[in-house]
Amino acid sequence: MKKYIFITLIFSIFLNVSCVTDDTCIQTKYVKLTANFYLTNPKDSIIANRITGFYADSITVQGLKYDSITKLYQSVDSILYNNKKVNTIDLPLNNNSTVSIFKLKFKLKLKSVVDTMTIYHSNINDYLSLECGCIVTHAIDKVTTTYHYIDSARIKVYEVNTINAENIRIYTDSDKIKNNKVNTINAENIRLFNK
Amino acid sequence: MRRTFVYLISSILLCISVSTALAQKKKQIAIPADSTRWLNGFTVNVDVASLATSTFINNGMYSSEAGIQLDLKHKFFPTIEVGVAGANKVSTDNIKFKTNGLFERFGVDFNLRKKKPDSKPTNNLFTAGLRLGMSNFNYDVTNVTLADNYWGGSTSINYPTQNVSKIWYEFVIGVQVEVIKSFYLGWNLRIRNLISKDIPGEVSPWYIPGFGQNKSSNYGFNYTVGYHFWPEKKIVKKTNVIIIQKKENQITK
Repeated sequence: MKKYIFITLIFSIFLNVSCVTDDTCIQTKYVKLTANFYLTNPKDSIIANRITGFYADSITVQGLKYDSITKLYQSVDSILYNNKKVNTIDLPLNNNSTVSIFKLKFKLKLKSVVDTMTIYHSNINDYLSLECGCIVTHAIDKVTTTYHYIDSARIKVYEVNTINAENIRIYTDSDKIKNNKVNTINAENIRLFNK
Repeated sequence: MRRTFVYLISSILLCISVSTALAQKKKQIAIPADSTRWLNGFTVNVDVASLATSTFINNGMYSSEAGIQLDLKHKFFPTIEVGVAGANKVSTDNIKFKTNGLFERFGVDFNLRKKKPDSKPTNNLFTAGLRLGMSNFNYDVTNVTLADNYWGGSTSINYPTQNVSKIWYEFVIGVQVEVIKSFYLGWNLRIRNLISKDIPGEVSPWYIPGFGQNKSSNYGFNYTVGYHFWPEKKIVKKTNVIIIQKKENQITK
């Protein structure tokens, strides 16, 4: 009889532990487009064609939203990057629109140059779980930019989701940099990458 | 805290009931099942634990089930279990999940109790077994809010009348004790493992009837009340009568 009671007690304790449920979301819900900066013509670089980065002192990135009242594109209140020295930028795409526009302001030694990057994309609702809810992932259709400081942009990975991937490469023109009399590479702005 | 308290109380009650059952067993004269016969009747079991949990613990889930267990040679116990279960859950983000569905389980239990030559005859069982469970059910996931923190705006999405079939297997270990003639009390612990897992991109259910919360593995507990039909007593009586008649015939000769 003692054996039966012992087994019953052990199983009851085991059951108490196993019945504790966790209602918190443990999955990542952060969906962002990653864009890296590259030099188009890195003649001055030591390791040519393998260097990311740009010669600008800093960058300011902000979304542009169409205002139906004024019928103009207005800057979104929140600034994504404010005078930051970065080689990589993470951009949130618009969940309720298929076009996301970003203003990229490059601060050079003598002046600031502004380019506008437009990303055309489709939105996919992805249900995760009751605890986590839903996320919106994206598929990039097309990227267009103005060419004041940016030379070109190339799509590398079309799917924008929670997986960390390089979605877009933004090439900046070294000749334009030279015209701005920048001659040295800032070591902090160099990042090696594997193909 | 409340859930732990309820389980603690139920555990103590369970211990008392098992010990009472064992004590009662000693008082009555047990008529053992015939291990030479293939079929020794069948037991109809009703799970009381799921009914009690559904009534006293408000965790958004309910379940009730019953089963039929055949007794083959008092060693093998093919089992069919059927039930109805459902869930009505609201998440912390106010997402609503609702389901109701039937489930079935098929399997077999094996009697692990070794019969000692000097032991008293008994019908009590210590079993281990396997089950294959399945459920085809509909469910609704509603009020899924999608808020865009950067660009602004939010939308609400509903996924009504989703349908899915789920299959799982279970390892079962348990005890059955004959409390009164042909009436059994028992408990069993189950470890469940899902075979048909969620497909990426589908709106997965939060709860699976008969399995529980949708995880790769899950635990279950049943406390059963059962009645054994086709009691062995009648068979024993008949055989006794035949033996007595044979003896009488031998005396008269």
